[in-house]
Amino acid sequence: MLVYTLKRLLLALLVAMTVSAITFSLTYLAGDPAIAMAGETASDADIEYIEKLYGFDRPIVVQYFEWALNAFQGDFGQSFYFRIPVADLLLERLPVSMTLGVSAISFAILLSIPLGVLAAMRPNSLLDRLALGISVVGQAMPSFWFALVLIVMFAVWYPVFPTTGSETWLHFVLPTIVLGYYATPAIMRLTRTGMLEVLGSDYIRTARAKGLPQHVILFKHALRNAVIPVVSLAAVQFGFMLGGSIVIESIFALHGAGYLAWESIGRNDLPVVQAVVLVFSLFYIVLTFLSDLLNAWLDPRIRVG
Amino acid sequence: MKKFLAASALASLALVSAIPAAHAGKADDTLNIVWERELENVDSYFNTAREGIIVTRLTWDGLLYRDPKTMDYVPLIAKSFKWVDDTTLEFQLREGLTFHNGEELDADDVVFTYNWVANPDSGVKTQRNVNWIKEAKKLDKYTVQVMLKEPFPAALEFVSGSVPIYPQDYYSKVGPDGMGQKPVGSGPYKITEVEPGRKIVWEKFDGYMKDGPKGTPTIGKIVQRTIPERNTQIAELLSGRADWMWRVPADQADRLKSSGKVQIVNEETFRIGYITMDAAGITGDTPLKNPLVRKAISYAIDRKAIVEALVRGKSQVVNSACFPSQFGCETDVTKYPYDPAKAKALLAEAGYPDGFSIDFYAYRNRDYAEAMLNFLSQVGIKANFGYLKYAALRDKIRSKEVPMAFMTWGSYSINDVSAITSHFFTHGKDDLALDPKVKELLQKGDTTVDSAVRKQAYSEALKLIAEQAYWLPLWSYNTNYAFSNDVDFTPTSDEIPRFFTASWK
Amino acid sequence: MTTTIANRGLPAAEDIVGPTPGQQLRRRIFGHRGLMIGGGILVIIFLMALSAPFLAPHDPYFQELLARVKPPVWTTGDWKHVLGTDQLGRDYLSRIMYGAQISLLIGFAAAFISGVIGTTLGVAAGYFGGRVDMVVTFLITVRLSMPVVLVALAVVALIGGSLTVVISVLGLLLWDRYAVVMRSATMQIRQMDYVAAAKAVGCSTPRILLTEIMPNIMNNLIVVATLEMAHAILLEAALSFLGMGVQPPLPSWGLMVSEGKDYILFEAWMITIPGVALFLLVLAINLVGDGIRDVTAPENRN
Repeated sequence: MLVYTLKRLLLALLVAMTVSAITFSLTYLAGDPAIAMAGETASDADIEYIEKLYGFDRPIVVQYFEWALNAFQGDFGQSFYFRIPVADLLLERLPVSMTLGVSAISFAILLSIPLGVLAAMRPNSLLDRLALGISVVGQAMPSFWFALVLIVMFAVWYPVFPTTGSETWLHFVLPTIVLGYYATPAIMRLTRTGMLEVLGSDYIRTARAKGLPQHVILFKHALRNAVIPVVSLAAVQFGFMLGGSIVIESIFALHGAGYLAWESIGRNDLPVVQAVVLVFSLFYIVLTFLSDLLNAWLDPRIRVG
Repeated sequence: MKKFLAASALASLALVSAIPAAHAGKADDTLNIVWERELENVDSYFNTAREGIIVTRLTWDGLLYRDPKTMDYVPLIAKSFKWVDDTTLEFQLREGLTFHNGEELDADDVVFTYNWVANPDSGVKTQRNVNWIKEAKKLDKYTVQVMLKEPFPAALEFVSGSVPIYPQDYYSKVGPDGMGQKPVGSGPYKITEVEPGRKIVWEKFDGYMKDGPKGTPTIGKIVQRTIPERNTQIAELLSGRADWMWRVPADQADRLKSSGKVQIVNEETFRIGYITMDAAGITGDTPLKNPLVRKAISYAIDRKAIVEALVRGKSQVVNSACFPSQFGCETDVTKYPYDPAKAKALLAEAGYPDGFSIDFYAYRNRDYAEAMLNFLSQVGIKANFGYLKYAALRDKIRSKEVPMAFMTWGSYSINDVSAITSHFFTHGKDDLALDPKVKELLQKGDTTVDSAVRKQAYSEALKLIAEQAYWLPLWSYNTNYAFSNDVDFTPTSDEIPRFFTASWK
Repeated sequence: MTTTIANRGLPAAEDIVGPTPGQQLRRRIFGHRGLMIGGGILVIIFLMALSAPFLAPHDPYFQELLARVKPPVWTTGDWKHVLGTDQLGRDYLSRIMYGAQISLLIGFAAAFISGVIGTTLGVAAGYFGGRVDMVVTFLITVRLSMPVVLVALAVVALIGGSLTVVISVLGLLLWDRYAVVMRSATMQIRQMDYVAAAKAVGCSTPRILLTEIMPNIMNNLIVVATLEMAHAILLEAALSFLGMGVQPPLPSWGLMVSEGKDYILFEAWMITIPGVALFLLVLAINLVGDGIRDVTAPENRN
């Protein structure tokens, strides 16, 4: 187990380094940062002055290593736009994205696991069809459009929820539904498949033969086994969700990290864009690392292979 | 059906306003304003957005103030002022003024502020606002002299708008970062809370001067929130959770106005739109080098139709490369009314009877740009459109990759053509015409003090620009302000909302 | 010899074993409701896109500034503009029809580019294993760690949006699923007897890959291709919605939602129509993809 963990850790670190290099090179090409920093009303002199002040005239490799070393220590530099450390901005904005991500994944799990289980219990029943319908619709609906429809419905026609800001839990309801629904189909399908497999397996048949009640079989024996792959999928989906939050956050004006990244792209505020891409990637890397370990711990065969 | 839907939409929005909201507006003497921009820093020397100017006028005072009605410069922190010579201004200060933190405001603060911002190492973002200052000197506790680097006729404009006075003791202790987090000024409102980019809270400053040109503030508290989505701003306004918003698009303004639930006031702004064309061939050998082609483009676009259908409000078609009310803005220049037949004829004469294809960029008002694309295609010009963010487009222009772009310029609300025409036609990085004659005339206008000479020089330059069709000036912009029926608010044409003059009805 | 047997009046082969594989397949296809519905919608959208130049009632680029934001016929509109007009007075129905061309083009082209990249990587990893597999797996992991929307936005913001840029960016980003699926499918096939046989006979590696491996992973490839096509269409719409995708005046559906967004409080139909079009197209592609998977590999059906 230790060897496996170390191997996976090394891989995760390597991936993180590659991602950071790509991130840096990608966003660094996004126009002259000095112009963005100087703002709309700046003169040529202002821009040249800023260029020198921040060292944008140095070779890109030098700038990368300086950036990566600092980022490794949690220092992402200063936001060109806000003139405060990017780390501070992230610390302020990430909790919003995390709240949204956690509530959305919880919503997705609470919706999709029961549906998946019920669907698996009675394949081809009305309920199974309904579950399938929900997942098919969820996969096809553009999330930005769904968000707008919810805004029209719940801000204009039936004003129940606030549509903008992140002050109270009510503000998170609509974005949670949109983002969570996006992850529902995959989790539900996996739950259903897993349950079908487990329910068809020998030990469940044995349990049934022993006359155990249905709910015990379902929840104690079957679900527990079916849920293992779901956990790792949920971890992966959580990572995807952070990435997808950029669209949702900008529509609902949730001041989270995704929205910050979107605004920063438009402002050429490179340090922020780089930091958000990197942090989101790192989240994904850490989550998959943890879920790999969890799987290996649950299923010893993986460790050997 | 449509009317019914709109009516029911408004009716249900009205329902929300019946629910007691956390921000109650007039009832608890709090003006809730919303805008789109995330302001990078409330310290006015370190932001560049127009919203920053609003915050500055509310929180800080300068030595002078430009009366938005008469456009005259009147003393504010100063009691009186005079030109000692072409490069020296002398100010007598009011006595007994204090900053929000109780610190006394006297010559030391003024001298400190001017000398600090004049120093390039301080890093003031918009250097243009301060780089005309040589130094400031204290003559006695209430007398200050400001020295200019060279004669600069527009100096009073900057003294009144762009150089707010900072408290010496406080600022030298906390610096720009501290000022951004806990700002201290001497203006009519003091800031009590800042969430960077999201929220600013002001309270009326009780110690504010009684007989100043900015008047005495009446509303107790002002809360600003950033809401990036305009539709949500409208929803907030209709539901009573916001009392004031601006820049409402024309179509929505019409619908809001007819609802009667809010007041809509339209006001012209200093901002004009224009198409800049690569006459000098900076981006390569494009058809735009030919003046006939530039004229054809000018004739091809029905600016009047776009203003009437899309821009609307108090906007008008402009023909010279400046805002008509600006000092020196010559309006008697070559005009290009909509005439597609003439445009085609000119294109044929220039050797492009079947038109040509060209890259065309824009950064705002995508619908106006699309309408122009369509007019161009009708005379055979195929424009490959690119819609970029401002910073990206400006960078592209400066790296010589943009032959033609739809741009706008707000002249920093400065009532003088030096803030627009001279900015673009004196061979800077944004100059795609590079006409030496135009440059010479504009520089003459910029550095002469005699206003008749200035006027003459600018007039000649602007006539030349129009005659050569370096730019196609499009239209002036307007802003729709929407605010609660409880609020008494008057917008001004310099596009700087002054909340210290607002009151409850 | 065989003819004589047949002539003796023995029943033909198909009568003994039942329907041929081809007949079975046909029966499964027509018996699959999802596939039929999805295929039907897809054919309609496809025909709409192809016939837009003949059937569209108006020029999708023709603007009539005096007839802006006309509502569709079922509210207060008229039959001149069945689905109403947009903010520049352009016919909404015609723009929807031409918009189908753009969505389909982006879907096909992006799925093709990413398919070439992903399949090459996946097959190479699955077939050669060892170090090649390690490198490819590493690349997949790196790619999966990067947030797609954010990276696509940043890149398009840098180069400037256009049809080709969007297609290339999506093509270069969406290859991960191909690689994952192709890799494991190839691994399974590689161990089959006929591959070993081909190797033993001395067939060259390219020949084995082309004649033995590829035909056998084709089903998987098609299923992934439909998924990625749907994915690319949705992403293009999202990018265009955020203003970083296809550029005006092209009638991209995502762009239409974005332009109609200003009107959602008063003219909700402006976002509803292109939104529903997008939904139907993606739904149809997904149904077809699921259907193909069920039909070609019935044993994998859930």
